[in-house]
Amino acid sequence: MSRAVTVGMCSILALAVSAFASGADPLPPGTTYRPLPAMPFSQAKAIDEAQKPQVMDRQRGMLEARYDLADRPMDGVMMSGGRRAVQDGVRVRLPEGQTWDSLAEMTPDEIREGGLLPDGFKPLPHVKQATGGQVFPRFVIDEINAQESRDLTRFDVDHDFPDHLLPEFPPPIFLTTQPHLGDVSRGELLTIRNHYEIMNGLLTPVQMEGLRILLTPFPQEEFNQTEDRKSAEQHRGVACLDCHSNFNTNAAFHQTPDVRPQAARFRLDTTSLRGMFNQQIHGSKRSLRSVEDFTEFEQHTAYFNGDHISAARKGEHIPDRSHKVAFMAQMQNIIDFPPAPKLDPFGRLNPDLATEQELAGEAVFMGKGRCAECHIPAMSFMDQQMHDLKLERFFEPGETVNDMVLLPDGPIKTFTLRGIRDTPPYLHDGRLMTLADTVEFFNLVLGTGLAQDEKNALVAYLLTL
Amino acid sequence: MRVAVPALALALLSGPGFAQIGNPGFMAPDTRFESPGVPAPDQPNDNDKLFAQLAAEGGLAEVALAELASGKAQASAVGGFARRMVEDHSAANDELAGLAEKSGIPLPDDLNPEHAAMRARLEGLEGAAFDLAYMRGQIVDHQKTAQILIWEINSGQDGDLQRFAAGKLPTILERLQLARGIVDELSGVTGVTPARGAEPEAPDAE
Repeated sequence: MSRAVTVGMCSILALAVSAFASGADPLPPGTTYRPLPAMPFSQAKAIDEAQKPQVMDRQRGMLEARYDLADRPMDGVMMSGGRRAVQDGVRVRLPEGQTWDSLAEMTPDEIREGGLLPDGFKPLPHVKQATGGQVFPRFVIDEINAQESRDLTRFDVDHDFPDHLLPEFPPPIFLTTQPHLGDVSRGELLTIRNHYEIMNGLLTPVQMEGLRILLTPFPQEEFNQTEDRKSAEQHRGVACLDCHSNFNTNAAFHQTPDVRPQAARFRLDTTSLRGMFNQQIHGSKRSLRSVEDFTEFEQHTAYFNGDHISAARKGEHIPDRSHKVAFMAQMQNIIDFPPAPKLDPFGRLNPDLATEQELAGEAVFMGKGRCAECHIPAMSFMDQQMHDLKLERFFEPGETVNDMVLLPDGPIKTFTLRGIRDTPPYLHDGRLMTLADTVEFFNLVLGTGLAQDEKNALVAYLLTL
Repeated sequence: MRVAVPALALALLSGPGFAQIGNPGFMAPDTRFESPGVPAPDQPNDNDKLFAQLAAEGGLAEVALAELASGKAQASAVGGFARRMVEDHSAANDELAGLAEKSGIPLPDDLNPEHAAMRARLEGLEGAAFDLAYMRGQIVDHQKTAQILIWEINSGQDGDLQRFAAGKLPTILERLQLARGIVDELSGVTGVTPARGAEPEAPDAE
């Protein structure tokens, strides 16, 4: 080969390299992937256990600075199963010297520049951001352990909210296929131990098999057999309905599987599965288009944080799409909302049954409050869309709170408002404790300028849904 | 005054003096602890070391490229941005160097190949082409910096470096937004980068 040809080829090669590679190193692998543990399990466990009180104190300090966590139930208003009272009043604390009305009169720029957005309106950190993972309320852990001898206690963290701010437990179950029966839960928590006795005669064989799988524990990031876990014993894992108790929510939380690096992952409060039959997009960020997709993919996401590599090591269980996934989906699709006798078939209040205040609240909901632009009554108070509230208009992104970086949330799925009194806390991360908090939040974010009587009417209306 | 007491408690628990809480499972087996779960100071893990080196490389490049831009920028917004970069990063580089020395992390003292190549390319450009290429590079650099700062906040274990990362992140995000706005303007794009009220003014812009 002549020298000229060689030089020419080298030049072509160099050109090709510069065209296809920037020469830059990628960001470190840990920005996307979960590392392998390095510390022996017993040692990591001892450290976590010793640090747990301090972790919980820090979280409680943050919560108490943001919210009034007192047990102040609404007079005579219970959740649908009659097992827990609905909590009253605005719980988000105001910045010194401000009122809700004074904030509502400011522009987003003024609130941002003055640092005046109430901290309770900002993203809510996981109790231990760097570790993350699923965290269950004590009453859920106790009941599952009593029935199944399966202990969902973590040695590093506990749930961080007082029980009275969480959904009732166990919640009632309403089936679209058995509307004449009302709540079919018998006041029990459905588990792998009791579901057949409770549900046989109410379900089809296909639905029953779907239910069985939804109640079967499978390995999960924090509850598994490996040293990378947060349960004391090698663990059988977690069932779908461990978080979605009786197909509602028990306010167990984890972090979004859809964001990296870890410090940017926002908290996710478990969503209810009631009304699944009308829900067309799934996952607050993923917008999966069917409950079948979601059911199949949860093994990668809720179970393993969107890290299929970690999942492969710990033992993920991908249900067979053509059979098992369909069975699980069919079971979820017969879960109804709790009855709302004051609503007509279009989701509007029946004026003969509703109070004046509730009707006034509906008028605000449909008009000045702009709620119905996304929460459309005839569409089960959803719109099958994701929306970006652009909360970052009101605060400077990038602040770190309890190891979580507060960033813009971006578009999030519209959740249903049917049965809303049964599913506190509110918003995708559970940052709002009461319905009155949600009214103040949206009044500020949407700039709707509601008066106090309009806010009260809106809360009264939400309780009818 | 019901806010004051919890706010004080919060300040004590999560203020600048409080170390981030990591996952001990991912810590080295020979980690020395100050208290359970809190590594003794100046004891960087591999992530801290890599973070410090990447941040230092980025800081060096910011200053070097900004010095180049101060002489070559055509648009006043670009010149102002470059002066701001020199000011921001000179101070941050010194702070980082102090922390790294305390923790025994050697830092680079020259541009990495990526930034050296970028400087060479920018040296060959003039006028509007230079402005746009410099500012587009700034967007990528600030995006990368934001992600490694966020990464360090949870994945490091050297409290000083983690607090450095947390402290710098809001500024980096603000500068990123500023750079996006300038690139939009230079390239005739409107209505993409959200306006944020009064734009932060360059400290020593003419």
